[in-house]
Amino acid sequence: MATPHLDDAPQHYAIRIRGLTKHFGSQLIFENLNLDVRAGEILAIAGGSGTGKSVLLRTILKLLPFEAGSVEILGSNFASLSKTERVKVERQVGVLFQDGALFSSLTVLQNVQVPMREHLKLPQKTMDALALLKIAMVGLPPNAAYKYPSELSGGMRKRAGLARALALDPRIVFLDEPTSGLDPIGAAAFDRLIRSLQRTLGLTVYMITHDLDSIFAVCDRVAVLADKHIVREGAPMDLVRDPGHPWVREYFCGERGRQIAKAS
Amino acid sequence: MHDNEAVLDRSTRPALRSAEERGTRRLVVSGDWTLATLREAQAAVDGVEAPNGPAHEIDIGDMRRLDTAGALTLVGLRDGKSAAATADFSSARAEHRILLDEIARAAPASFEPPPPRAGAAVETLRRFLSAATAIGRDAVRLTMFLGETTAALGRVVARPKRFRVKAFTHQLQQTGLSAVPIIALVSFLIGGVVMQQAAFQLQKFGAETMSIDMLGILALRELGVILAAVMVAGRSASAFTAQIGTMKMREEIDAMRTLGIDPIETLVLPRVLALMIALPLLVFLADVMALAGGAVMAKLYLSLDTEMYLQRLNSAVQAKHLYVGLIKAPFAALVIGLVGCLEGLSVRGSAESVGTQVTTAVVKAIFLVLVLDAVFAIFLSAAGF
Ligand SMILES: Nc1ncnc2c1ncn2[C@@H]1O[C@H](COP(=O)(O)OP(=O)(O)OP(=O)(O)O)[C@@H](O)[C@H]1O
Ligand SMILES: [Mg+2]
Repeated sequence: MATPHLDDAPQHYAIRIRGLTKHFGSQLIFENLNLDVRAGEILAIAGGSGTGKSVLLRTILKLLPFEAGSVEILGSNFASLSKTERVKVERQVGVLFQDGALFSSLTVLQNVQVPMREHLKLPQKTMDALALLKIAMVGLPPNAAYKYPSELSGGMRKRAGLARALALDPRIVFLDEPTSGLDPIGAAAFDRLIRSLQRTLGLTVYMITHDLDSIFAVCDRVAVLADKHIVREGAPMDLVRDPGHPWVREYFCGERGRQIAKAS
Repeated sequence: MHDNEAVLDRSTRPALRSAEERGTRRLVVSGDWTLATLREAQAAVDGVEAPNGPAHEIDIGDMRRLDTAGALTLVGLRDGKSAAATADFSSARAEHRILLDEIARAAPASFEPPPPRAGAAVETLRRFLSAATAIGRDAVRLTMFLGETTAALGRVVARPKRFRVKAFTHQLQQTGLSAVPIIALVSFLIGGVVMQQAAFQLQKFGAETMSIDMLGILALRELGVILAAVMVAGRSASAFTAQIGTMKMREEIDAMRTLGIDPIETLVLPRVLALMIALPLLVFLADVMALAGGAVMAKLYLSLDTEMYLQRLNSAVQAKHLYVGLIKAPFAALVIGLVGCLEGLSVRGSAESVGTQVTTAVVKAIFLVLVLDAVFAIFLSAAGF
């Protein structure tokens, strides 16, 4: 839930990463990486291609192992949890993968219902109503509900993926480049949707994005990944004023960055 | 916080009661209205009474937590018969109001019925017809595919540099060399079993040495080629379909086409040619191993030593029996390779479709190999071989 004043108490952090180190074979990806995500905020993760944004997301979700450090989600360290406690935490987490990762043999409606079926015992009618609501909320036309992922456009697959991520009204959602591949109007609507969900549900949003528009429009803070760790962290405007790292300067203080910053 | 299992106490249990003040009928909402308490919330909505007519106001000031599932239930309550069509949510907290507006906006569109499906009888008829014509359609498709592959072969022969040597040798190893142990073992065992059965039955007529003649001819003409072809159909047709099908599913085939690369030339041709070279060799291996299995059994059951076994074999078997078996191998390989690749290219969208096509490929390949063998048997015996 959104908390008006933030102090250092652990419950005010949705995610805490301390001293994370990760290799792929001999390639070092993260070295002593620290990151805090506050409960109820929208955090953007920016960084060049191949700096490890997607890998960090997968590491937080325990889809990839790491060598050193600790990762806490909602105050609990996955490594020390029993199976049932883990499921409880996982239920409060929704994920939109970079390419949607929808189940190809299920329709969009069935995809959205998968987490409901797995975790809740609800009548089919209720699940249908809820799933159709989620599909409408993410801006998909109603007839998309009965289509298979291969029959959707890239942007529609993204929206369907978000609908599935939101199926259980999670407390944290992870979004891997949610607005890439959307038209600008669609992307702006997507940003508004994220913002209104965050406000109404007290959602914590961890969003990987390259999209300066959405960073300035909806994000409370930005964390920049470069050189194997988080080099800068702060409100978007603060980073514009004081970049402090060459990549950040180029990104925020380039022509486009300045224009968008001025406009907002 | 969103726990299903959490005990619902008085303050979190979703509840609904009617109240009337100064002529305004109200519904007062309290407790948590979330996914975790959805059953109770729905029960409260279903159970609410409106003795004096529909309410004009829904008071959600006392409500604690709300999420999209709860909001949907509340919107359903407002649109139901216990509330007037104009009823409003009153004393709502700002975030609850936004959520309810959002849901109310999204909800009407969301109750579209599923698209109509054809009636059961029509559907059954359609399936029956499509199954009845499937064999014909398959035959046409396979023939067309054979044509396409032949055309690709022609292009490659005209410009040999375009032949994918690396893919070809890789496939040769995968379909040929890797299949050696299993085919050798199976042929050896079957050869032994046939020998033993034949000896056992023919002993009754005192003609047990005839079993060597029988095994020799059977193994060379039929057994070797059928065993090897069926094993290869199971191993390689499935592998071809899975490899090509996965590429098709991930749009890699489309990407190849746009890059000016012909998938038939790069994917199908090396596989089919590799199989057409590998299978005759494997058939020869199967022949030898089946005869070896027979030799072992002859020693055990008939106490014939290997030299006598070979002498007997030499007088019974002619070279034409070997050729009859071997000539079938490249044709079987062609059928197996084409079916495997064609089914792979027929994969649509889903992962499930890959599975279905793999199954289809193996079944069709084995079926066609056996049909081919029968056709050859009739043809060759009519021709006096
Ligand atoms: N499974 C893997 N095995 C080995 N290396 C990997 C693996 N996954 C990613 N990498 C490497 O890790 C690095 C980070 O990859 P990642 O996918 O996280 O990039 P990214 O920051 O998400 O980039 P983009 O913005 O293009 O999505 C890259 O150098 C990549 O080659
Ligand atoms: Mg990525």
